[in-house]
Amino acid sequence: MSNTSQPTLQCQGLTKTFSSTDPPTRVLNGIDLTVQNGEFLVVMGASGSGKSTLLYCISGMDRPTSGTITLQGRDLTALNDTEMSRVRLTQMGFIFQQSYFLQNLNIRDNILLPALKAAPDATNAAVDRVDTLMKRFGIAEVNHHGMTEVSGGQLQRASISRALASEPDVLFADEPTGALNSSMSTEVMDALSDVHASGTTLVMVTHDPACATRGDRVIYLRDGHLVDSRSMGTWTKTADSVRKDDLLSWLHELGF
Amino acid sequence: MIRQDTLTRRYAYNDLTKNKGINAALLLIITMSAFLMATGSMVMERSVGSVDALFEQAKPPHFLQMHKGDYDPEVLADFASQRPEIASWLIEDMLGFDGAAISWQRPGTDQSGDFSASLIDNLFVTQNEDFDLLIGADGDIPRPSQGDVYVPVGYQQDFDLEVGDELQVRTDEGTSSLTVQGFVRDSQMASSLSSATRFVVSNEDFRDLAAAGGGNPEIIVEYRLTDSSQASQLQRDYESDVALPKNGQAVTYQMIRVINAFSDGLVALALVFVSGLLMIIALLSLRFVIRGTVEDEVREIGVMKAIGLPHRVISGLYLSKYRVMALLGCVVGGGLAIVAAQLLTRSVQVNYAVAPMGFLTFLVPVVALLVVYLLVVSICRGVLRSVRRVEVVGALVHGTTLDEKKSARRAKKLARRARKTNLAASGGDVNRRLAILDLKTEAGQWVLVPLVFALAAVLITLPTNLLTTFQSPRFVTYMGAPESDLRADLQFSTDVDGALEEVLRRMEGDDRLTEVRDFANLLFETNGEEGWENLRVEMGDYSTGTVAFVEGQAPGEGEIALSVLNAQQYDLEAGEAMPIRRSNDAMTEDVVVSGIYQDVTSGGLTAKMQGPATGDAVGYVIYADVVGDSDPTVLAQEYSDEYPAASVIPMEEYVQQTLSYITSAFFNAAVLAVIFGIGVALLITSLFLKLRLTRERNKMGVLMALGFSAREIGFQVRFKLLLTAGVGVLAGILMAATAGQWFVGAVVSLAGLGISSLNFIVNPWVVYLAYPLMLIAAAYVAVRALTLRLHTPDKSIWLRK
Repeated sequence: MSNTSQPTLQCQGLTKTFSSTDPPTRVLNGIDLTVQNGEFLVVMGASGSGKSTLLYCISGMDRPTSGTITLQGRDLTALNDTEMSRVRLTQMGFIFQQSYFLQNLNIRDNILLPALKAAPDATNAAVDRVDTLMKRFGIAEVNHHGMTEVSGGQLQRASISRALASEPDVLFADEPTGALNSSMSTEVMDALSDVHASGTTLVMVTHDPACATRGDRVIYLRDGHLVDSRSMGTWTKTADSVRKDDLLSWLHELGF
Repeated sequence: MIRQDTLTRRYAYNDLTKNKGINAALLLIITMSAFLMATGSMVMERSVGSVDALFEQAKPPHFLQMHKGDYDPEVLADFASQRPEIASWLIEDMLGFDGAAISWQRPGTDQSGDFSASLIDNLFVTQNEDFDLLIGADGDIPRPSQGDVYVPVGYQQDFDLEVGDELQVRTDEGTSSLTVQGFVRDSQMASSLSSATRFVVSNEDFRDLAAAGGGNPEIIVEYRLTDSSQASQLQRDYESDVALPKNGQAVTYQMIRVINAFSDGLVALALVFVSGLLMIIALLSLRFVIRGTVEDEVREIGVMKAIGLPHRVISGLYLSKYRVMALLGCVVGGGLAIVAAQLLTRSVQVNYAVAPMGFLTFLVPVVALLVVYLLVVSICRGVLRSVRRVEVVGALVHGTTLDEKKSARRAKKLARRARKTNLAASGGDVNRRLAILDLKTEAGQWVLVPLVFALAAVLITLPTNLLTTFQSPRFVTYMGAPESDLRADLQFSTDVDGALEEVLRRMEGDDRLTEVRDFANLLFETNGEEGWENLRVEMGDYSTGTVAFVEGQAPGEGEIALSVLNAQQYDLEAGEAMPIRRSNDAMTEDVVVSGIYQDVTSGGLTAKMQGPATGDAVGYVIYADVVGDSDPTVLAQEYSDEYPAASVIPMEEYVQQTLSYITSAFFNAAVLAVIFGIGVALLITSLFLKLRLTRERNKMGVLMALGFSAREIGFQVRFKLLLTAGVGVLAGILMAATAGQWFVGAVVSLAGLGISSLNFIVNPWVVYLAYPLMLIAAAYVAVRALTLRLHTPDKSIWLRK
């Protein structure tokens, strides 16, 4: 788990250029970013600003062209593929816009999969953890269902459970409510807020201000540059609409 | 205004250039099938044409009877004069010399050799006048001058002879020298299955060779008929006349044709067989690719339907690409086939004649290619009918080709399966378990792999099994002979009985030999439908169970065992009686058929009886086994040198030489099959994996995000591929050993060789170890190469669209 004496995640001078296009496309331009322990960071920006690319770079899914990324003080850019995979398995969790579940496993097994993989000799502990998570997020009753038998909101809550199954240091969420209606979006954001409240560090990419208000801090990207950052304070349900107005006017100033 | 056909062409071009890898793989396999089909058909047409061309020039006899020893020419003349169906006839005198008695030398060089490596009879003859002509290289009819000789064209190739070489024939009075003036093609004895070959000399030289002694005189009585279909009737009439000479082989025109076309016909058949299997693989692959394409592009199809395009126009767009591929494959394959067919028929055109070009020369390959084209296009058309069933809403909203009901059914089925999983309960490596689960869920997708590998295994195994069967020393059991190490043949001569006694005494007294058994070849007759007919019987001691029987057992006293073809001819089974008598003897006895055996020698028409191996035989055969480490080759040479009247060879060599061209044809077919089989397995695996990795990109991306390394995901793909390929290979080998053996046996038995049931003599190291390993290795190479792309530095590409 997290070492509270240093930032969970840090990147310095992060750039990313894709050579597959002609000419090559520079997507991130020298981003410096620090994510503190237990912080809920939201990344916003217009389409093509580099939000998802930033997420994939700091989670080790993509190799940055230059710059450094450290997780709990450990340089991720120096790791090979196997070592980085191990880091993603044991110290990170992912939630995607599309709930990418394996169709041939039931909900419970999908959630259990990374935990079993991380500690194959600790099956019982993993099962207990998963069952607890499922109860926590209100999906215990669908644990043996296939993914086609549950709603979008339930699937995303299952995604959150899966992301937390191996007790990660940081959770990454890429547009977690992008494919959901408003009530399901609220379900999912409530779940994420709950996760944050229990001390988990979160980094979320979103284009939805209603979701962004849940964060402690919002950063804004434009053309691969980190142009501004706004501290939001701790989210409460009652202050939600005030925070939203505040956020919207800030975003408006930035041209969102 | 852009026309529809222009749009169609443009679509086909764009699609072909966009998915180069997959389209190239499909095109290659279609080309291979077309190439093999066209080559096989052209080889068949050219071979038949070559044989026909030579037959037209050479005018082979419609019926011939070989004979050694005394005969009455007046009886023969009388026989012919009474038969108006005989257009002309002749008696060809021949002098046979052993290969070791003929040597050659190239003047002015130190190059020389002899024909001892050849086991067939070397017959010296003079050129005939009316028919059965030996034809020169330019289609001329050589009439050598004194001192000249024309050598069989097969020897030109086997021994690298040239015009101007000196041939020396060892006679009793010394050595006769002849100068090679050219090479001749022999319509009667061109086939490698023939047991003799002919050299043409002048009348003077023939007389001199006969007078010098050392050669075995023999005659062939030959007939040309006004109607060749009467050959069998003539044969019956001839054999029923006791006065006519007939202690040798009788052959009809039909048999000559079959034997001549046999080995090249085999090559053509093998090519067509390989092509057929490749076609099946190609069609399976096409079906897989097209169905996948329709599923992948279902949204685009939905849009086209939504804007009002009829389904046949939409299908037409996709079909256009496959039509172009099929056409291109057939054109390229056909072009390559012209070259290949030329190469493959070079030897038949040298040994026979250059086949003239005719209407069939062009029609046959065109028809073959048309069959390939139509098969490909009709399969594609059939699969693309699924476009009709695509519903707009389902396609656009859900991205599925299935209608609502089918979608719901599939989702229910998936959910039912998913509910049963329990990762916590089962143990073992997670990657392996995920791979097996994937295979269970997506069996319908993965079934292509075991199917292709099963077919590839059959493709490479069957020809090899045939080859090893015909090459095996145990194949003698298909030649009506016992398994043994040594064989000594004593052909008819004035003192063949004396020669037998000497050789037998020596062999029985030789410590290096054991199990010495002698058999006499006797001429009997049996009462067939049209009267008394010749029956060649091998008489000896069969009590030790020396020959393998397909039905019944070895003959005892008063019994006879028949070859398969004889049993079919006389419609007899084990236990039934047949009347027999010795030739020139009116005394008849009924013998009981004790058993039926397989025999490809002597036209497949032989019989065996228990009894002393003596008495008026046309020849003798002695078998013996070698003791300890003694070398059969050395022993054979020793006995051949000591007893020139006996042709002594190791049994293994006897089988090899008798069947050399058949085994050579099978060898070529086996090599071809292995190359194509492994190549196709590699190609289809690559095509399949490319498509699967594209379709599973999101799933792999999620697994990577969850913490599975590229190596582990690569392992999952490799595990699935190698498991399914392994199952396919196993199934293919089993199929080849069972259904394949039955099928090939049926084809071989229909060929009228004298084999009714073929059991493969398999080389287990090759078929059960090497070939499966090669196929699995091909699968491994393909999967390794394609999973390399998993090791990209940017894993998010697997998640992004």
